[in-house]
Amino acid sequence: MKTVMSNKFAIALYTLPALLLILVLIYIPIALSGYYGLMDWDGIGEMTFIGLDNYITLIQDKLFWSSTWHSFLLAIFSTASLLLYLAISLVLASKIKGSDLLRKIYLIPMLLSSVAIAQLWMKIFDPTNGMANKLLEFFGVENTPIWLADPKIALYAIFIPIIWQYAGFYILIYYAALKNVPDEVIEAAKIDGASPFQIAYKIKLPLISGVFKVTIMLAVVGSLKYFDLIYVMTGGGPNGASEVMASYMYKEAFKLNNFGYGSAIGFGLLVICLLMTWLTSQLTKSKDDVQF
Amino acid sequence: MKKKAFATVMSMALAGGLILGGCSSSDETAKDSSGSSSDKTVVKMMHLWPEGSSNAQFTIVDDIIKAYEEENPDVDIQTEILGNEQYKEKIKVLSASNELPDVGITWAAGYMKPFVDGNMFAPLDDIVEKDKFVAGTLDAFSVEEKPYALPLELNITPVYYNKEIFEKYNLEAPKTYDEFLNVVETLVDNGVTPITLGNKDRWTGSMWYMYLADRIGGPESLNNAINRTGSFEDPALVKAAEEIENLVNMDAFVKGFNGLSNDEAKGYFMNEQAAMYLMATWELPNYTTSPDVDQEFKDKIGYFKFPTYEGGKGDIDSYVGGPGVGLFVSEQSKVKDEAKEFVSYLVDEWGKRSVVDAGVIPATVVDTSAGDLHPMYIDILNDLGNASNLTLYADVQMSAGVADVHLNQIQALFGGQTTPEEFTKTQEEALAAEK
Amino acid sequence: MSEVRIQQVTPNLSTQKPRRSFLNKIGFGFLYLLLGTFAIIQIYPLVWLVFFSLKTNKEVFGMSPFSLPQSPQWENYTKAWTSGNIGVYFFNSVWITVLSVVLTIILASFVTFAVTRMNWKLSGPVLGLFLVAYMIPLHSTLIPLFKMYNSANLIDNPLSIVLSYTAFNLPLTIMILLGFYKTFPREIEEAAVMDGCSVHRIFFQITLPMTVPVLSTTAIINMIYNWNEFVFVNTFISSDKWKTLTVGINNFVGQYLTDWGAIGATLVISIVPILLAFLFLSDKIVEGMAAGSVKG
Repeated sequence: MKTVMSNKFAIALYTLPALLLILVLIYIPIALSGYYGLMDWDGIGEMTFIGLDNYITLIQDKLFWSSTWHSFLLAIFSTASLLLYLAISLVLASKIKGSDLLRKIYLIPMLLSSVAIAQLWMKIFDPTNGMANKLLEFFGVENTPIWLADPKIALYAIFIPIIWQYAGFYILIYYAALKNVPDEVIEAAKIDGASPFQIAYKIKLPLISGVFKVTIMLAVVGSLKYFDLIYVMTGGGPNGASEVMASYMYKEAFKLNNFGYGSAIGFGLLVICLLMTWLTSQLTKSKDDVQF
Repeated sequence: MKKKAFATVMSMALAGGLILGGCSSSDETAKDSSGSSSDKTVVKMMHLWPEGSSNAQFTIVDDIIKAYEEENPDVDIQTEILGNEQYKEKIKVLSASNELPDVGITWAAGYMKPFVDGNMFAPLDDIVEKDKFVAGTLDAFSVEEKPYALPLELNITPVYYNKEIFEKYNLEAPKTYDEFLNVVETLVDNGVTPITLGNKDRWTGSMWYMYLADRIGGPESLNNAINRTGSFEDPALVKAAEEIENLVNMDAFVKGFNGLSNDEAKGYFMNEQAAMYLMATWELPNYTTSPDVDQEFKDKIGYFKFPTYEGGKGDIDSYVGGPGVGLFVSEQSKVKDEAKEFVSYLVDEWGKRSVVDAGVIPATVVDTSAGDLHPMYIDILNDLGNASNLTLYADVQMSAGVADVHLNQIQALFGGQTTPEEFTKTQEEALAAEK
Repeated sequence: MSEVRIQQVTPNLSTQKPRRSFLNKIGFGFLYLLLGTFAIIQIYPLVWLVFFSLKTNKEVFGMSPFSLPQSPQWENYTKAWTSGNIGVYFFNSVWITVLSVVLTIILASFVTFAVTRMNWKLSGPVLGLFLVAYMIPLHSTLIPLFKMYNSANLIDNPLSIVLSYTAFNLPLTIMILLGFYKTFPREIEEAAVMDGCSVHRIFFQITLPMTVPVLSTTAIINMIYNWNEFVFVNTFISSDKWKTLTVGINNFVGQYLTDWGAIGATLVISIVPILLAFLFLSDKIVEGMAAGSVKG
């Protein structure tokens, strides 16, 4: 049996096409990115080799570290929101009435492009005419916040649409995972007298722990390299209050003609993602997956 | 098996898509008349006036291209059209790979300089006719006296205001800054938003600052700071910042302005929720000829020049403004001569049609007597003719890096996060640090 | 997940005491209230978008997001459909999305199968390669990719888009598949091996069918990403005939003026096919699980 599953030819056949694609289309750009980081280049004229200068500047760059911190915060909030999505999925996956319809509705925002989401939320956050403040005024709040214009809360305000954008994504995955749990196991537990809570906590969760760990990783890395809504809704402002690593990189490379430095930032982002992934996997390490 | 069904559907969709793609592409080829069989010289042009949003400019360019191709049957002009932001991003990628189109759009001064330094733009001194252009517009596109792009647009920035709102509170268009402050106060006291401002984009606030700098210290104060013959810590510049602070504290600007884009801010003015709006003359169509705006609204709008400052050096005919976009020819272009000829033609024709057809003021001198223009245009053009000075937008004059510092400082100043002294000091340091 | 009780819907297994049913009803009601509120929050954007597409530019701004358009501007839709080449963009979006999704799923399944089921020393590092590939920020790759495609003469060729989408979606798809593959028991495959099946038979006839639910899941995810993707198309494609819907939207964002109604209409037009595909595919997930769950 081992020989069948060690068929080298099959292994190569199955992995090489995909491997080739990412090596060429992803790893070469990564390498080039690191390479450009060694240059003083405005993206237009000639490149000048300056060694590790960009990287040294990067390490001392306050703006970079504040943007990194903002990315971290997003990662933390995203991961925390996973619990909420898990809870919702648990409810949806149990056989309550209407779960089918609800499931479909919950996933709808996933279909919207960032353009639509940005427009919607900018209207909601409009300090004078927007829904957020109108709601607050309805409840008697007098000095309604100016949301995206306030440096202290702009970052947190913009987390809301970002996290909301991905609700459908995670609910979809958790739902599929939960549905995968064989019915017999659940039935057996019910016969044994387990309450829904016990079933959820002691049976379902452990059985989808593999998937859950994957989503943690996705949430962390996805947050660290997030770009879209930040750029469109606040541009990283006011004055850098909502800047994240990817938007900072974009700005430096594409807007400020510091392509060399921008590449270094991109490379820095990559390294930080690597570190965080390693850290997360260490923190979520457990015994191997549960076998039936 | 479901998988099979899935796969079949997919392949059918795929096949269908390819066929349709093939069909439409052959349609396109017929339309584009990009006959690879003929010996036409192909000139590739990229511009940022999509048919949907900038229909007027799109049509003008399209007509000009058709006319040119008729007169020059051996030339084929192919266009790639993108929206503003996408255009900027793509040009960056193209220039990094040395793949600029033969003809394209560029902005002036600070934006253009890296391209000139990198030898990406061809000098156009051999096709330019200097007197055709409004004074100063060519300079913004020149490096060391040589023009590297030909300007297409010219804009100045008056303060547009809602006459009806003013009348309601017995206000008149202010001529002095004290009168202006009075207007602001009255409106605030009556619960009306005096000024709408979309400072998320930052350059909008910069224009307010620039006017105050101009009126207090005269046009030299800011220009000298930027071209390094003076300092940004000039007392006039500090005072201008103080006046901004004052305005903000008076609640002169719409709530949450630092988070509103220019477009969103504009909405307040268009909905009559704000009385005044400082913006460039590219907005004129909205108050004059645009079919998308109610005539009732258009009739209520007028403009006044930025008021003069008591004891200040700037006069009322000095404007913040300058050329908008211009056309470049790529230095790497294989059809440079043909491209240059086309550019020359386009700028000429554009100048003749842009005001009437698109409501855009060209950088070439316009004859106001011919044709029947909306009165506001005639006024603006006359004012333009009498202008004593045009100060180019600060963030265009400065190099990209310094411009970013400036714009961030503007946002900080308006947001109350920095003092006028810090504001000027930071920018002085940034300017000084530049080589 | 607090004091809410989920009532068993298989009453023959439970013995509900009558005096708890009232509390249960309240709990149930409360649960539905929460779920319902969340549903409204999720569906509101779609409703808003439709209203948005029917408003004039002026209405888009001043009025509250709740307001209905004063007179529905159906012209926004005609404008969206006729100016620019929306028909062409539409078809491009469809076939590029479908082709990329199919490619991604097939390749990812191959890889995940090889990594989780087959014995080889390098499986760890290879998996690691895919994981790390997920971490690169998109914009870092723009200029290098452009240069590469340019030298391969693939600029302005939709193949560059398909390849890029596939490559960039592989890591994510593999990671999701991985999570699921680990929960499938190996006994069936082991039994098949003992029966003398080749690797390929095992993959195609046993493993792959088991994974239909998760394949549908990743299909949805990939489909959404590809359909709404914009940066690559904008950068690698120049001719109108190969552009996609997302680029078409930007047809309405002008230098100085933005036509919001037309943008809204384009957004609605672009969301319809993906909504339909989503509804179709998400049913597949449920069907797949009902039919394909592991039995013996």
